[in-house]
Amino acid sequence: MPRPGFVLEVDRSTPPTLFWRGENFSLEKLPAGRSRVIYAPEPLPAIKDVDAAIRHALANPIDSDPLKALMFSGMKLTIAFDDISLPLPKMRRPDIRQRVIEAVLDTAAEVGVDDVHIIAALALHRRMTEDELRHALGDRVYDAFAPRGQLYQHDAEDPNGMTSLGQTPHGEDVEINKRAAESDLLVYVNINMVAMDGGWKSTATGLSSYRSLRHHHNVNTMRQSRSFMDQHRSELHHSNWRMGKVLKESGPRIFQIETTINTDTFPAPFEFLSKREWEWGAKERATYLATTKALNRTPVKLARKIFHSIESPHQMTSIQCGEVEAVHKITTENVWKQQLVEVKGQTDILTMGIPFISPYNVHSIMNPILVACMGLGYYFNMYKGKPLVREGGVVIMTHPTYPDFHPVHHPSYIDFFEQVLADTTDPAVIEAKYEKQFAEDEWYKHLYRTGYAYHGVHPFYMWYWASHAMAHLGRTIVVGGDPRAVRRLGFTPASTMSDAFEIAQDVVGPSPTVTHLHTPPLMVADVS
Amino acid sequence: MRALRIDRKVARFASARVAGMLAPGSGAKWGPLELDDVPAIALPGEDWVRIHPRLSGICGSDLSTVDGVSSRYFEPLVSFPFTPGHEVVADTDDGRRVVLEPVLGCVTRGIDPACPACARGELGNCERLAFGILDAGLQTGFCCDTGGGWGTEMVAHPSQLHDVPEDLSDEAAVMVEPAACAIHAALRVPITPGATVAVIGAGTLGLLTVAALRAFTPAGQIVTAARYPHQIRLAKELGASIVCESGELSRVVRRQTASMAYGDQLTGGADVVLDCVGDSATISGALQIVRPRGSVVVVGMPSSVKLELTTLWHRETSLVGAYAYGTEHLADGRTARTFDLAFSLVREARLERLVSVTYPLHQYEDAISHAANAGRRGAVKVAFDLRHDRKR
Amino acid sequence: MKGSQPLREMRLAGRAIGARGRSMRTRAKRSVGSVGFPYRAPEVPRGVTVPELPSRLEANYETAWAREAPARAVRRLLQAGPLRLFVKIVADPEIAGLDRLADFRPAKNEDPPALIFTPNHHSHLDTGLCLMAIPEPWRSKIVVGAAADYFFTTRISAASSALMLNAIPIDRESLSRKSSDFAKQLIDEGWSLLLFPEGGRSPDGWGQPFKGGAAYLSASTGAPIVPVYIDGAGAIFGKGMKRLKPGRTKVVFGQPLPPVEGENTRRFNERIELAVTELGDEALSDWWGARQRAAERRNPALTGPEYRGWRRQWALSEHRKLGKAGQRTRQKRTWPKFD
Repeated sequence: MPRPGFVLEVDRSTPPTLFWRGENFSLEKLPAGRSRVIYAPEPLPAIKDVDAAIRHALANPIDSDPLKALMFSGMKLTIAFDDISLPLPKMRRPDIRQRVIEAVLDTAAEVGVDDVHIIAALALHRRMTEDELRHALGDRVYDAFAPRGQLYQHDAEDPNGMTSLGQTPHGEDVEINKRAAESDLLVYVNINMVAMDGGWKSTATGLSSYRSLRHHHNVNTMRQSRSFMDQHRSELHHSNWRMGKVLKESGPRIFQIETTINTDTFPAPFEFLSKREWEWGAKERATYLATTKALNRTPVKLARKIFHSIESPHQMTSIQCGEVEAVHKITTENVWKQQLVEVKGQTDILTMGIPFISPYNVHSIMNPILVACMGLGYYFNMYKGKPLVREGGVVIMTHPTYPDFHPVHHPSYIDFFEQVLADTTDPAVIEAKYEKQFAEDEWYKHLYRTGYAYHGVHPFYMWYWASHAMAHLGRTIVVGGDPRAVRRLGFTPASTMSDAFEIAQDVVGPSPTVTHLHTPPLMVADVS
Repeated sequence: MRALRIDRKVARFASARVAGMLAPGSGAKWGPLELDDVPAIALPGEDWVRIHPRLSGICGSDLSTVDGVSSRYFEPLVSFPFTPGHEVVADTDDGRRVVLEPVLGCVTRGIDPACPACARGELGNCERLAFGILDAGLQTGFCCDTGGGWGTEMVAHPSQLHDVPEDLSDEAAVMVEPAACAIHAALRVPITPGATVAVIGAGTLGLLTVAALRAFTPAGQIVTAARYPHQIRLAKELGASIVCESGELSRVVRRQTASMAYGDQLTGGADVVLDCVGDSATISGALQIVRPRGSVVVVGMPSSVKLELTTLWHRETSLVGAYAYGTEHLADGRTARTFDLAFSLVREARLERLVSVTYPLHQYEDAISHAANAGRRGAVKVAFDLRHDRKR
Repeated sequence: MKGSQPLREMRLAGRAIGARGRSMRTRAKRSVGSVGFPYRAPEVPRGVTVPELPSRLEANYETAWAREAPARAVRRLLQAGPLRLFVKIVADPEIAGLDRLADFRPAKNEDPPALIFTPNHHSHLDTGLCLMAIPEPWRSKIVVGAAADYFFTTRISAASSALMLNAIPIDRESLSRKSSDFAKQLIDEGWSLLLFPEGGRSPDGWGQPFKGGAAYLSASTGAPIVPVYIDGAGAIFGKGMKRLKPGRTKVVFGQPLPPVEGENTRRFNERIELAVTELGDEALSDWWGARQRAAERRNPALTGPEYRGWRRQWALSEHRKLGKAGQRTRQKRTWPKFD
């Protein structure tokens, strides 16, 4: 039976705590008597017979006819799936998406459906490479559909590829992929890694365009989302749900398949990352020492390669399908079951180790903007109720924050970092002054459509993701980060954790309380 | 009088070249430059006058001479031994404060009738720089007959002297000559209203060019590549719209002009690029970020450079030089002498702030090393201060 | 005693040559002739008939030694080295469908569940191909069912089959009680099995109907069947070919089929044959097309068309063109690498 998450009060005998530091980790001593560490629940047991579970779910959907009954010979069927940003790190083959899509296609074959398109619902993310598609969908699906041009990636800038479905009562444009919109049935295959994913966000975001996304991917929405991990208090989700309503009324019939995975995140030899420090045996300690020492001497390029080649032993814990909202309700419950940890009261200082990966740099480089987004966007928002850190508090993250950018994946990020952040770090100013220029830049569009680049506007979204935290916090400190890059982000560099605590005291006063978000694995703090 | 002099000593030039390659500015110590007590210079003509430098700037072209890396092109255009220094503010014997316009054109050389360029007022293009009553020398500071600013005394033709208004400081006045060069460069090719202009380099010349572009052209975006924090600050203050690091320039220009790219070559680009550095890398870079049929103006003194000119041919780019000054035709139709414009620019843009540090003549080794490493050491213009020299 | 014939001749020759020959004779006699019973097999006295001992070869060959640690170590070396290299050079297999075995992969430090791999059979290469394609942890814990009347006829061939391939003798005519009990026992001990349900190599390049042995073993032990399709081996070294014709092959693994409660062996066997048939279609076309045809039961049969004679052979060449044997030039996938 997996143990639930819990909050450890740090005392003098508590061993130092593990922090991610990009492509490495460190052990940091937290001040005794006023610190606590939040440990995630242990991975839930996985479903034993995954294929049977999938078949059962497809035959017994929620608030919907069985998948087979929704299909008919001669229909237009479109299957959309979550892109490379999920799950993190990539899961061992076979990926859940492959299993689900194969099951859906099997059903389609039985019914005699010929016109099937499979679309990577990547919104404004970069296109996936062939290897990545093969990893997510398996060779069989790839080899069968890609050569026929029936497996491809959503292109939000294709002038002939988008359909407008109208507006929400709030005046938000709803635009989705044309093929999806014109299908008799749209099957969306999702992986719900955190509570933010899924629901209407799958279709209304994954298959939409800049014209549609700008209504919820903006500073105002993000500041109104407390947090975006909690669907009911998230303006981001409210907007998506409003768009969902339009989709439901005038869009295609949607059959949503949502899956949840457990938090069994790292394979050997990195299992110790998910273990509680006082339970580290001789083997874990030796592995920790050996890996950190080795990684210290490893060129960062090689270290990135090593880490991005990790295939996670994630396993499926649930699958539910049918009507979007009903399905997502159950999915969210299942995610909470795995990730929720009850925490009493806020803290002055929130500490977090930033890993080598974020949803936007799979097989790529964690650039400074993504570091900011990961810390202040994702980790900060890993709460339900109140933020973990009090208003005016301090976030301390650990990450080397090299000013390195992947030239193919993140061209607009480079310009954002060099040109926009050099001017201002205020998300509202950035939005007003620069967003349109970047979003409409033909060059970025070209790279997004034909290369493997994130859309020109994507770095803005990363910055907006952090805007709630930026407004909330008194200061953000990055331990061990490249000072110039950290300052460019508007943060304060510190060389050691104790320096960081010293600096933080200027903002939060003496003897502040400290809370550490112990990742991996991911968790969400239910703060009362 | 005391003066720094450069004589034709081949071995000294060679050692300066080696030293200069190892550490910029160290040619002062190992090279042909020597501080000497020298006899007073005879007046070359009846109307010539003696002047006594107050401040004398150290220019990029002086540095390359000191470090022995000037082009062989200059060999027939200078006469040894000469005293460098052509950015000069000086006292005349009759108590006036003047700025020197150093080009030694037909008038100073007693050539009458003047050459066609001089006749048009385009002094910088004078065709008689090695003839007439003076020995060879393109400017004061490169001619054995005139002396130079890096000495306590020199001679000048009255046509070269511009009175400094009472309220203008010496520091401001010493910036007039470089400002004139920058204005000439800024007006070298026509700039249409709202045009995007890129300036490479943010040393003295780069910063002055930015100021000149802002003051005398209707340019829209002025994008400047700078390296050091003080350069970035000054470039912004002097009118640059965007200041970036040199490695970022092509990305900034691409975004500002909404271009696409073929590899490193932008498809569109800036209308005009002013290269205030002038080496192979910067001129090549300029050709990559200029739009088809745009112009690259070489403002910084180049030497022998290696260029990929296919892009010049294919995109019909103009590559033009900009040297010195003369008479300018402004966008509004006015015609004015560059030096007059320079006086107004210096006053309005408060260019005296670019004079970062001054040295007495005897600390010339430090002064030149400081000037050669100005950016890194947080300086812009380094000048000799001769106001307190006992030998004046 | 054939061995004494030259000796006798030598003895005669020595007598003819004389003294010099005599000394030679003595030497010869001393070295060979002195070794008698019990150093030599006894001569059978006249009038006595020795009862024929039960054969220790064919189905009775004892292979337990080949599953002991020393033999396994040697086999691992042989398979990782020469066998792999040989198969790679001769048949260059492309391996697909391993992800279908993912659910059966054991947790760390656990033994793999026993599986029964049932490929189609066109060539002696099939065993080597499978041993190369079947992934660890099964590869090092697999026994190969080999025809008792082919591989186990002489001591040398039996021993080398047992050592190299971990083969066990299987009666191909009928699954005899003995070999089936033995196979069941091995499966219970955790050994996986590689069985060719066709019972022998295809005589004409088309498949043969599956025999029920694998289905029976699976049903009675609970070990799932893994259908496997091997494409191209027949064109490289099919039955009757005298020389290897190196080419390329493809090995496709199918979704494991666990036995279903209450299903009779014949039905199960049909299910296995159908699964391999579908895999065959998948290997020669693509997965989606194969699934579509499977839904309509239109996958081309492994046993080939109904008609006989030259038309059957004619159709075979068309069939082979679709597979790996038909690919003459290697299609190398080029893909940009970003790092």
